[in-house]
Amino acid sequence: MLRTVKPKNARSKRALEAREPKEVEDQRKAIFVHGMKTGEAVDKLMKELMALKQPHAISFSQKNAIRPFEDASSLEFWAHKNDASMFVIGQSTKKRPAGIVIARTFDSKLLDMCELGVERFVSLSEFKTPKSTPGHKPMLHFASELFDTHPRYMQLKSLLMDLFNGEVIDSICLPGLEHVISITVAPSKASQTSSALSDGTTHEDSKNLPNVHLRTYTVKLTPSGVRVPRVQLTEMGPFVDFSLRRHQEADPDMLKAALKRPKLKKQDIEKGLGKKKKNLEVDEMGDLRGRIHVAKQDLNKLQTRKMKGLKEKSGEGDGDVSMSTDESEVEDASPPKRQKRG
Amino acid sequence: MDVSNLLAAQASKFQSVTVEKDTPLDVDAGFLTVTDHNPIDEDSYRSNLEEYLKSTARDGIQALVAALYVLPTESSVDGSFAKLPPPTTQLPRAKPLPKPKPLTKWEKFAAAKGIQKKRRDKKIWDEEKQEWVNRWGRDGKNKEKEDQWIHEVKANADVDFDPAQEARNERKSRVAKNERQRLQNLARAQAAQSEREQRKEELEKTLAATRTSTASMGKFDKKLEGDKKIRGVKRKFDPTEVSAEKEKQASLAVLSQLDGDAKRAKIEKGTGDDVVNVRKAIRAVSKGKGGVALGREVSKRSKDSGKSKRGKR
Repeated sequence: MLRTVKPKNARSKRALEAREPKEVEDQRKAIFVHGMKTGEAVDKLMKELMALKQPHAISFSQKNAIRPFEDASSLEFWAHKNDASMFVIGQSTKKRPAGIVIARTFDSKLLDMCELGVERFVSLSEFKTPKSTPGHKPMLHFASELFDTHPRYMQLKSLLMDLFNGEVIDSICLPGLEHVISITVAPSKASQTSSALSDGTTHEDSKNLPNVHLRTYTVKLTPSGVRVPRVQLTEMGPFVDFSLRRHQEADPDMLKAALKRPKLKKQDIEKGLGKKKKNLEVDEMGDLRGRIHVAKQDLNKLQTRKMKGLKEKSGEGDGDVSMSTDESEVEDASPPKRQKRG
Repeated sequence: MDVSNLLAAQASKFQSVTVEKDTPLDVDAGFLTVTDHNPIDEDSYRSNLEEYLKSTARDGIQALVAALYVLPTESSVDGSFAKLPPPTTQLPRAKPLPKPKPLTKWEKFAAAKGIQKKRRDKKIWDEEKQEWVNRWGRDGKNKEKEDQWIHEVKANADVDFDPAQEARNERKSRVAKNERQRLQNLARAQAAQSEREQRKEELEKTLAATRTSTASMGKFDKKLEGDKKIRGVKRKFDPTEVSAEKEKQASLAVLSQLDGDAKRAKIEKGTGDDVVNVRKAIRAVSKGKGGVALGREVSKRSKDSGKSKRGKR
């Protein structure tokens, strides 16, 4: 148990306040932990998954003697210390070669875990294709009926969604959608019937669970003649085939507490899901800057330096009249512009 | 003129954007996620794995994009922003829901009375200086009386009466009062919050009681590992000889704690609503005359109205 720190200055107070529970949460921070031995494939896979998760990723690249299924205390400690709530642990042992564990915490306590074996891995660098911009949100695609029926695959779907997309946002920039992560379950193995699949959750049966294909593509949207564009996919990498290994279910009481929703007022939902403070940002100097909407400035009405030579001739009229002619000129000038645009 | 050729050419230029599947795809636009429940086509899976995976992914993403492009949009410099609906999938939270802050005494009162919170500006308009000045703080308006160069002093004031000092003391006492109230609010909040501590205390008390509840007062009981010796309250004795003044005070203190009829009635009247001070409210409503006078007045008024009603009939 970490001691509770009392902030000594305003900056640390703000930092602690940012860690306090929020009604609408930010994206989960993930820690990528290397075990005692990882192996080349797992090492590369972790790096590339981390690149997909950036900027919400922390790397623990040193060797860590960790066995998450036996003792999760160091995970809980790291979660508390780094304000992170997700783990990707890469480890390769003789018994379980080339494996990654995806773990999730609630309130700095371990919630659930799933171990995946890396069967095949094709790196991102092996495809000579354009890559997505770091930090962009991916679109997720899950293909199999097992994702809604089988508890293991339901858990896997929930974990992967939390890892890549688990943030409630109120709007998305449509041209910013650049890549897709697609997860497909292979057809069930020949020895097994679908009825055995539905209740097969014990340790021995995990060998019979069909593999999972994770594929990453970039998206190209081409015009289709209607509002909705046509989607074309290009391989981006990484391509991974996973097999399901050990797992740990969430404690029902803890899961129930974790699934509690805040009661948001209707007005708050309309305003943007409890996230207040719009149009405020902190600039590079650390100053708080607000943005306000100002209508377009009319430069024709701008008062520049007055000079005798620029004064209109007295023959056209006195000062008051010249003002009014100015205005009429402006009015005359604008309609042709509109016509051009139209 | 036959336009069918033109239409066909147009149609061939653009490929279709509709996706047809046996089971419709499950789109969660809030999380940008699409789930395809259709069974896998094993033949194409086995013949060309990558091609098959790509084509199913394309179909799924096409459905998701179709769902995203019909959402209401807002245009910006970077392109159009689609307003996303709240997600349908439930994902567990990373931290528990934030606890509501305990209300201060004033906030409780304001809520009961329906008083809206008004935001006070930090600056206030100074008529004399013709500019905005701080309400408090550096060159604050609340220090105006201390800084002015001439003061009005009552004729019967003391010789050493210092009006500037008086104003300063008054301001300082206001600050002290506010601080005292803040601390009281904090203490109240903590007492209400630490239910766990209360429960712990209760448990410890019960345990201590059970440990001394044997015939030997726990003297010959088996000691458990980690058992601590119970420390009781140390008895203190007052000195036998005290001054008459002190004795009188002690007796009066006991007497004042005994509830008389009047006091009991007052307490009973006061209960029921701990937010509003009833005694204070009565004083305000009756304009200082008291509850009895108010009651008399009200009954008189009702009698009058009753008479008039009868008269009309």
